[in-house]
Amino acid sequence: MPFEYVRSVLGIFGESPFKPVHTHAEKSGEAVHKLNEAVDAYVNGDYIKVRTLDTEISAIEYEADIIKQTIRKLIPSSMMLPVDPNDLLSFLKPQDSIADHAHHTAHWLTLRETELPLDIKQGLLELMERTIKTVDAYENTVDDIAKLLETSFSKKEIKRILKKVPEVEELEHETDITKKQLQQKIFEHEDELGGVGVFYLISLVRDIGNIADSASKAADRLRTMILRR
Amino acid sequence: MDVFSPLILAVIVAGLYMAWNIGANDLANSMGTSVGSGALSIKQVVIIAGTLEVIGAVYFGDRVTSKIAKGIVPIDQLITIDPNIVIIGSLAAILAAGFWITFATFYHMPVSTTHSIVGAVTGFGLAATFFIDEFTIDQIEWLVLGKIVISWITSPLIGATLAFIIFTLIRFLLLGRVADPYNLEKKFAILQIFSACFVAFAHGSNDVANAVGPLSAALSAAELTPYGVIPQWVLLIGGVGIVIGLATWGWKVIETIGKGITELTPTRGFSAEFATALVVVGHSYSSLPISTTHTLVGAVVGVGLAGGLAAVDLSVIRKILVSWVITVPVAALTSGLIFAVLMKVI
Repeated sequence: MPFEYVRSVLGIFGESPFKPVHTHAEKSGEAVHKLNEAVDAYVNGDYIKVRTLDTEISAIEYEADIIKQTIRKLIPSSMMLPVDPNDLLSFLKPQDSIADHAHHTAHWLTLRETELPLDIKQGLLELMERTIKTVDAYENTVDDIAKLLETSFSKKEIKRILKKVPEVEELEHETDITKKQLQQKIFEHEDELGGVGVFYLISLVRDIGNIADSASKAADRLRTMILRR
Repeated sequence: MDVFSPLILAVIVAGLYMAWNIGANDLANSMGTSVGSGALSIKQVVIIAGTLEVIGAVYFGDRVTSKIAKGIVPIDQLITIDPNIVIIGSLAAILAAGFWITFATFYHMPVSTTHSIVGAVTGFGLAATFFIDEFTIDQIEWLVLGKIVISWITSPLIGATLAFIIFTLIRFLLLGRVADPYNLEKKFAILQIFSACFVAFAHGSNDVANAVGPLSAALSAAELTPYGVIPQWVLLIGGVGIVIGLATWGWKVIETIGKGITELTPTRGFSAEFATALVVVGHSYSSLPISTTHTLVGAVVGVGLAGGLAAVDLSVIRKILVSWVITVPVAALTSGLIFAVLMKVI
């Protein structure tokens, strides 16, 4: 404060934790989109680009972590929120995992160069496409929190947001199917890839799968937070 | 005694200082919600607050002023014994309240000017019983004081209840039904101009007494004002003092506060302001001095309980309660001590 002679009671207005929650979701989405580029580069054998993107994703993940800490600081026990603060925190956790998994996957991509069979390449790109769809749908759901707050949880807005959650879950389910098919394909190429190659790719696919899984979990917790209000 | 006698001049100057403080911080707090929601600019707020504050003070400020001047300590009786005691007592009370408010403001404590002046006036009354044999402790209007203290507890609670009801109505009848809630907020920004006016009027009607209550007692003792009435020019002194406080310092406080309150939208601001103004005007009508800012805090919590705010920091309430408990005894003690010293010196 530039001057000190102030006596105010308007500290009663706390800072909304929901805005940084929104920014945090955007960061997570950004990390996954970057990862998509990284997988694309990997498939095309551009390992230098993979490394560059890994550094970028790492930076985004770090930013997301900082935002997460800010949100935690914004909800001390004296803060009254329109939702249960514990529900908010347990929804934030899987949302944070989205960026974490993206980061982890990008790093994994930098660890090994692999000559990929064509159908595995296509499988990876399809898996990423579905993952992106899931995360985008999730981000879209989080976007609606602002309107939910503005209308102070009107029935109409609650309905709207709750309709979006199963959509995210549906997309995650489709991603999961793609993942399983891809894992099967990887084993079909066992001879070509070798044991280490198979292990590497199976882990990679599992890591990518975790991203959509986290988005779906976060959407579910978001629904719990709204319903338990 | 004339207006230019040193004692009367001292009371006027101290009263103006108190008024300046009220304008610089209390009025600024009451208007902060209008700027925070983006309904009004700083310039508009200063003009609205300045005008309506003076109108409220001059046309509706006499009841609370009269209560502070002679409702707690029976000034009329004291005047018949020795008018000088009343003038000295008024000076002691206003100085004590002024000191405490200055101290509290430097340390950012959410102290109420109302609580300070009521404590200070009581302190003078108690000290006076030691100096005048005919004046005993049971002559202080404890019942009135009790009612005032109870109203300090109930006013924020009523504010919270009213704000809760107002916002809940807006929520169910409008926010949940309209196609575009953001458009509704724009309309409420216009309504908030009226609620801001109402708050400024209410504030003037109740809080001007904190500056001119003791002054009017002193003027009455000096026979400068007719018996039993509070002339409008006395209230005007207070109103103008408050506006000067707003214009020289309060606007900066509003600016700072307004920047801090970014989450408040016009529907919420309107609900809190309208509830606050209703409660404060009601108390002005009932001649009860209450804290506008504490009522506003209650109203904000009411809107929060109705699910209208993203975050309400309840730690402020604890700070208010602490400063509340400290203020009355500290102001009373300081006032009594100043009174005793002045009695020895003069």
